[in-house]
Amino acid sequence: MAKLTIEHVARIEGHGNITVDVTDGVVREVRMDIVEPARFFESMVVGRRFDDAPLITSRICGICSPNHVVTSIKALEAALGVEVSERTKLLRKLLVYGSYLQNHATHLYILAAPDYVGLPNVFPLAESHPEIVQRALRLKKLGNDLTSLVGGRPVHPVTAVVGGFTSEPDTDALGAFRDLLLGVAGDALATVEMFASFRVPEFETAGEMLALTSDDDYAIYDGDTAALDAGWRRPCAEYREFIGETVVGHSNAKHSTVGGRPFLVGSVARANVNGGKLNEAGRAALAKSGLTLPTRNPFHMNVLQAVELADASARCAGYIERLVEMGGSSAPEAFRIRAGEGGSATEAPRGTLYHSYGVDDDGLITHGDVITPTAQNLANIEADMRAFAPTVADRPAGEFALLIEELVRSYDPCLSCAVH
Amino acid sequence: MAPRLVVLSLASDFGCQVQLTNMTAELLDVLGLVELSYWQLATSGHMPPDYDVAIVEGAVTTTEHVELLGRVRETAAVVIAIGACANTGGIPGIVGREDLEGRYGAVYGPGPAVATGRRAPLPLDAFIKVDYHVPGCPIDTGEFLRVLSRVLLGLSDRVPDMTMCASCKTNETVCFFDEGRLCLGLVTRAGCGARCTSLGRACTGCRGIAPDANLASAREIAVRAGVPAAAMDDALRIYNALTEVHA
Repeated sequence: MAKLTIEHVARIEGHGNITVDVTDGVVREVRMDIVEPARFFESMVVGRRFDDAPLITSRICGICSPNHVVTSIKALEAALGVEVSERTKLLRKLLVYGSYLQNHATHLYILAAPDYVGLPNVFPLAESHPEIVQRALRLKKLGNDLTSLVGGRPVHPVTAVVGGFTSEPDTDALGAFRDLLLGVAGDALATVEMFASFRVPEFETAGEMLALTSDDDYAIYDGDTAALDAGWRRPCAEYREFIGETVVGHSNAKHSTVGGRPFLVGSVARANVNGGKLNEAGRAALAKSGLTLPTRNPFHMNVLQAVELADASARCAGYIERLVEMGGSSAPEAFRIRAGEGGSATEAPRGTLYHSYGVDDDGLITHGDVITPTAQNLANIEADMRAFAPTVADRPAGEFALLIEELVRSYDPCLSCAVH
Repeated sequence: MAPRLVVLSLASDFGCQVQLTNMTAELLDVLGLVELSYWQLATSGHMPPDYDVAIVEGAVTTTEHVELLGRVRETAAVVIAIGACANTGGIPGIVGREDLEGRYGAVYGPGPAVATGRRAPLPLDAFIKVDYHVPGCPIDTGEFLRVLSRVLLGLSDRVPDMTMCASCKTNETVCFFDEGRLCLGLVTRAGCGARCTSLGRACTGCRGIAPDANLASAREIAVRAGVPAAAMDDALRIYNALTEVHA
């Protein structure tokens, strides 16, 4: 018999409680109560000018704010019929990857790693294993500095607007950052090695997996949504047609399904869908991880985030080389305000993020909609807990609790995003 | 004995706590000066019954928040409000004081009742005395460290009273109103170094209205630059919807 209640699960963004009851090998109850307060973001943007939406909706999340800004801007550009320059697109990719480097370093080292070394938090490692903490801080700082370079500050970047950027870094600063990115290759590989060395349970999720995909890149900035098991690929702007959302009584965040099934988004889904598009650094990191794709184990989210660190740092260095060579402008494009509807998506660090808006002839927003990665993952997290709990219910209580928490934390959940 | 510190969040995006973790050069030094008793984002463990300093992020949006804040005020010698949500109501404050149920219905529709205990958003000082303030969306880590130093040294709270315009003058940033564009720096509390305006974005007022602000005069300046006063009031409803500043 194993009964478990964890209030305010630690080392995740936002407030959630876990209840698991396995009695005589039978699962009596599994719930993840999302008690993070609702802020009613979709209602906030209605009636406001279109260009207020990226500013407001980016405050859904302090960790992936660059994703919310970029996704919101792209959805509005789709509604208003605005085309942006290649230079703007590359700078936006850097902005999104800044949030990857920062998020992955934070999640892996500060939030997840303590589980695997038997500590309540990462800070004691500063004494016992200073090289690990220094590596974590270097990677985290690199992500923050990349977001600051392009966006002006690490949390809630200010320069990205509908049509382009209000300011961009000079060529010298960009060029210098390329070397910093290439300089963390060793740190990224060491992160892969560390997480590959942590023993994780053999467990397979039954959920579908969704991720953005594109023909020419490891998709994070745009692309179609691909479903791994069902094998389809659809324009991401049609997300309302393939993702169903329902309100469930124990959660301030809605639950999502695709084709009636819970599904998983995030690094495992991305790697399964797009693993063939990892760059050389990413492929080397994947080889070092010892994983073969596809994997259905959600505990592999961590090590695959580490693989993405290796891929991302080299990929961003390449983007910078192109920016330095190409010239051109990222100054906001001129456009006429017109009525329209538009939706878009990016891959946030923890999975696909969708935004859509309607705009009227005066540029006022008629409706807004956001589905965040964690909102998509919640039904799958509960389904996984339900399947996983009986397999470890015979463990001592503390170990049982830790394993359930590890499973939840593997998804890198952000409950302030999920509820919003 | 090192002061026992707790970090708590109400309705927020965790961005200010993320900024705390972003103090990559200083975080370990700071943790050496305090005893970290509770921080849900960064460490396992339960909220202790006793502590000295409470850092609170987020706006008050539930009855549970009100109860928690009351207990925090009874327990902690020092309460520090970090971020726009805690200081002015911030972005959650856009929801305003009216029609919360309409907004609930628009987001969740009929069906199971969730988001129970909800109430119209308010900043911390609507309920308790706040000892130190770190405004902004998000907080600036340099400013946070200066405030924390004042807390640890026993110095009083010192938030700038003047408006942001002086910072723009120092930075030699061309005034947005000279280009016929709206900017809230005219009325917003200084202290951020005017980062947004130096990067080509008008001030959105995230640090709250400065005590020195002259709103009537600011509206006149806006109108003279060709910006309707109503546009200024509308912009103030992003971060300052709960502050009585409207014409």
